[in-house]
Amino acid sequence: MTFPILSALIALPVIGGLVVLLVKRDDLALPLSIASSLVTFGGAVWLLFAFESGEAGFQFVEKSTWHEPWGVGWHVGVDGISLLMVVLTAFLFPIALLASTAITHRLRQYAASMLFLQAGITGVFLALDLLVFFIFWEAMLVPMYFIIGIWGGERRVHAAVKFFLFTAFGSALMFAAILSLGFLASDQLGGPTFDFVELLGADLTRNAQFWLFAAFGISFAIKVPIFPFHTWLPDAHVEAPTAGSVILAGVLLKLGAYGLIRFNLTLFPEAAVDLVPVLAVLAVIGIIYGAMVAIVQTDIKRLVAYSSVSHLGFVVLGVFALTTQGLQGGVIQMVNHGLTTGLLFLLVGMIYERRHTREISEFGGLATVMPLFAGAFLFTAFASIGLPGLNGFVGEFFVLIGSYLSLPGYAIAAAFGVVLAAVYLLWAYQRMFTGEITVEANRGLSDLNLREKIIIIPMAALVVFLGVYPKPALEIIKPSVDAILERIEEKTDYVVPDFGSTGDIAVEVGE
Amino acid sequence: MNLDFLAIAPTVAITVAVVLLLMVDVTFKVGPRWWGIVATLGLVGATTASVWQWVEYRGPDGELFFSDMLAVDGFSSFAGMLIFPIAGLGLMAGWQLVKGVGRRGAEFVALSLIAASGAHLMAASANLIMLFIALEVFSISLYVLAGFTRKGEGADEAALKYFLLGALASAVFLYGIALVFAATGTTSMYGAKAFLDSTLILRPGILLAGIALLLVGLGFKVSAAPFHVWAPDVYQGAPGGVTGFLAAGAKIAGFAAMARVLVIPLGSYIDDWAPAIAVMSAASVIIGTLFAIAQTDLKRMLAYSSVAHAGFIMTALVAGPAGIGDMWFYVATYAFQVVGAFAIAAVVSGALTGRSPLSDYAGLSDRSPLLAAAMGLFMLSMAGIPLTSGFIGKAAVFRAAINADYLWLVILGLVAAVGGLFFYLRLIVVMYMQPAPDGAAHPQLHFGTRFAVGVTAVVTIVVGFVPWPLLDWVKDAVPL
Repeated sequence: MTFPILSALIALPVIGGLVVLLVKRDDLALPLSIASSLVTFGGAVWLLFAFESGEAGFQFVEKSTWHEPWGVGWHVGVDGISLLMVVLTAFLFPIALLASTAITHRLRQYAASMLFLQAGITGVFLALDLLVFFIFWEAMLVPMYFIIGIWGGERRVHAAVKFFLFTAFGSALMFAAILSLGFLASDQLGGPTFDFVELLGADLTRNAQFWLFAAFGISFAIKVPIFPFHTWLPDAHVEAPTAGSVILAGVLLKLGAYGLIRFNLTLFPEAAVDLVPVLAVLAVIGIIYGAMVAIVQTDIKRLVAYSSVSHLGFVVLGVFALTTQGLQGGVIQMVNHGLTTGLLFLLVGMIYERRHTREISEFGGLATVMPLFAGAFLFTAFASIGLPGLNGFVGEFFVLIGSYLSLPGYAIAAAFGVVLAAVYLLWAYQRMFTGEITVEANRGLSDLNLREKIIIIPMAALVVFLGVYPKPALEIIKPSVDAILERIEEKTDYVVPDFGSTGDIAVEVGE
Repeated sequence: MNLDFLAIAPTVAITVAVVLLLMVDVTFKVGPRWWGIVATLGLVGATTASVWQWVEYRGPDGELFFSDMLAVDGFSSFAGMLIFPIAGLGLMAGWQLVKGVGRRGAEFVALSLIAASGAHLMAASANLIMLFIALEVFSISLYVLAGFTRKGEGADEAALKYFLLGALASAVFLYGIALVFAATGTTSMYGAKAFLDSTLILRPGILLAGIALLLVGLGFKVSAAPFHVWAPDVYQGAPGGVTGFLAAGAKIAGFAAMARVLVIPLGSYIDDWAPAIAVMSAASVIIGTLFAIAQTDLKRMLAYSSVAHAGFIMTALVAGPAGIGDMWFYVATYAFQVVGAFAIAAVVSGALTGRSPLSDYAGLSDRSPLLAAAMGLFMLSMAGIPLTSGFIGKAAVFRAAINADYLWLVILGLVAAVGGLFFYLRLIVVMYMQPAPDGAAHPQLHFGTRFAVGVTAVVTIVVGFVPWPLLDWVKDAVPL
C-alpha cells in the first residue's frame, strides 16, 4: 500500500493543532503552528511534483467503507483542479500564521483554530464522498467562527454570527440535497451511496437535477459569494483578523467555486446547461456591482473585500461559460485571486498594525516614508487589475476569451470590470501613497521589516511566475476541465464551442 | 406462563437499592457517601442486567414474560442500558443538591432511582395497563424531584404545574387506553396487534380517537408541541441538580413508550398516525426554535430547545418500524448532551437554584476554560454541527424521514436547525466573546460534575467521530 499522502495532508494540521494546545506555552504557539504548516506545505509540494499532469481522473485515491447501510466511507482523491487548491491552501497558511504576530490574546487557541481550519479546508478539497465532504464543509465553519468572533475587530460578534448563519443556511439546503441524492440514486446503483464517483453513474430526471442543482448551487453561491448572497462577506472580511481575512479571501471563497465545478457541473449537467443564463447574469452583476461599490468605500479593507466580489464574479462567469478556456481561466483565476487578494489583505493588515485605522482619508503621501511598502502595494494592485506579465492577466484573459466563445454579450460587459478594477485600486493608491504627507501621525511610520518582507516575497514571486509562465498550472488543470466538459457534452445536447485549437492558446500565452 | 428472573432483574436491582437506601438511612443515619455507594451498586446492577438482556434477547430474539406484561427485547434492554447510566450521571451532576438538602438527600437519591426504574419499565411494557403504571411510577417521582427544594424560588410552582398538567395528560392517556381496549378488546399490545392485523375494522372511529388520545398523553411526556407548555417553567423552576435527569429521562421514557405503542399495536394504522406525528414534529421544531431564540435564561432556552429536539426525534418515527433505530440513536446522543449541559448549568448557576440567566455565563471561557469548552461542544452538538454526535443524530433521523417520503419535514427541520444556531451560538458568544463581569466567581468543580461532564463530552465527541458501532447496535434495538 502506498503512503496515504492525502489523509496525511488532512491529519497533519490536526496533529499540529493538538500539539499547540497541549504544549502549554503561549510563546511557542506561533512557531509550532508555523512549523506544522510548513511540514504540510512540504507534503503539498511533493504532491504537486508527484502528480501526473496529463491525466484527467483522480489520483492518490484512498477508499474504504465506513458504514455499509448508509453507503458512506472515506474516499479522497485529487485531480488537477483540487490539486492547485490544496497547494494554494498549504502555501497560504504558513504565511497567514506568520502575519499573526499582532495577536496576543489566547494565542494557543488561535493557532490551534487556524490549523483545524486548514485541515477542514483541505478536507473539503479532497473529499470524494458527499457526506464526508459535507462534514468537512460544516466543521470548517466552527474554527473560522471563533477566529472572527474572538480575535476580530470591533463588530466581530456580529460579523462572526452573520458569517456562520449565512453559510449554515446554505449548508442546510445542501444537506437535504445530499441525502435526497443518495436515495434517488440508490435504486439505480443498488443501494444508498454518497460516493461522488459512483453517483456520476446515476441518471437523474431533469426535474430532480434542477432542484438538486438549486440546493447545492445556493449553498455554494453563498460561499463564493455570488450576488445577491454576498452581504456577509464585507462584514466578515473587515472584522476578521488579518490572517483570517487572508484565509477567507485566499481559500474559503474558493470552496464555493470549487463546489460549483466539482458537483454542480458534473452531477447535474442538464440543469447546469439550462441555468447558464441565470448564473452568467448574476456573475456579471457581481463583477460590475462589486467593483462599483468598491470604488466608493472609505475603508481600505472593505474596498478589498468588495473587490473580491468582483473578482469572484469572473471565476463564476468563466466556469459557466462552459468552454475549456473559460473553465481553465476560472480555476487559474481562483488561484490568482487567492494570491493577490491575500497579499492585499496582508498589506492592509501591516498598515493597520502601524496606525490602527483603515480609513483611506487617514493616509496620504505614504510613499515618502514607506517606499518599499508603497511599491509592494502598487505591484499587488497591478496584479489584481490584470496587468500583463502578472498573474491576474492570465486568469481574466482566459475567462474573457472563454466566455466570449459562448456568451459574447456577457464577456463584453464583464470586460468593464477590469477597467473599474483599475479605478478603485489605483485611486486608492493615489489617495494613500502619493502627494505630501497630510496626517502628522504618518510621518514616523517605519517601512517593511524583515518578517514582513519574508511574508511578501514568496507571494510576489508566485504572482510573477504565474504571470510569466502559467503553462504548468494550465496543463495541470486542462485534462480535468476537459473531462468535465466531455461529460456535459455526453449527457446533454450542448456542444462546447471552441476556436478549434485550444491547446495552442495555452501554449502561446505560456511562452 | 413465561417466568424468568432476568426479565425483571433491572427492576429488582433498583428496588433492592431503594429499599436498602431508605432502611439503612433510617436505621443508621449514614451520610451521603453511603447513599452514593448504594445508588451506584443499584444502578450498576441494573445496567449489567440490561446488558445481559441485550446479549440474550436483542434483535429477533425478544420474548414476552409474565402473562405478556413485559417484553424483553433489544428495545427494552437498550432503553435500560441508556436510562440507568443516564440516571447515574444525573445524580453525580446533582450531588451538590443531595448534599445541600441535609437528611432529605436520601429521599432524593431513592426517587431518582425509582424514576429510572419507571422509565425502563415504560420501554419494557407489553401491556397498556402496565405501561400506564410505569408511566405513573416515573412521573410521580419526577413531580417530587422537580419541587425538591420547595422553599426555593420557582420550585414549588414548577412542581405544581408539572403535577397538574402531568396528571391531566395521564388521564387523557388512560382514556386513550380505554378507547383502544374498546376497539380491540384487549390491553395487551401484542394481542391488539394480532387483532388489528387480522381484522378489518369498518368504522375505526373509536380506535382513531384512542390513538389521538394516546398521542396527546405521550406528546406531553416528551414535551412535543402543542403539549409542551409545561416544559419551560418546569425546567427553569426545578433545581439545577435535577433538570438534566428530568430532561433526558423524560425523552428516553416518553419516546420509548411512544415508539412501542405506535409501532406494535397500531403498526397497521401507520397511514393514520404518521401524518399526525409529522405535524406534531413540524410544530415542535418550529415552536421550540422560535421561542428558544427569545429566551434570556439558559435553562428556559434549553427547555424550548428540547421541544425542538422532540420534533427532530419524531421525524424518525414517521418512518414507522424502519425509523426506530434512528430514533434511539438521536435519543441516546441527545440524552448525553442534555445531561452534560445541565451538569454545567448546575455548577455555574447553582445546583439548588432554579434560574440560570445567560449573564451567569459571561466570560466563562476565562474563568473555567474546560467547562466553557464542554458547554460549547454540547451547544454545537445540539445544533447539529459535524464531528459531534448531534450531527449524526440529525443525519440519521432525516435519512429515515426521506426514506419514508417526508422530504418537506426534512427541509423544514434543516431550516429550523439553522434557526437553532441563533441561540446555541449566542451562548458561545456569551462564554467566549464577552468579558467576565468583575468579581465573577470561578466555578468550583466537584468530582461528580467533573465525571458527568467528562463522560458526556467524551461520548459526544467519540460518537461524532466514530458513530458506526452505535448505528449498528441501534438496528437491534427494535421491539419484538
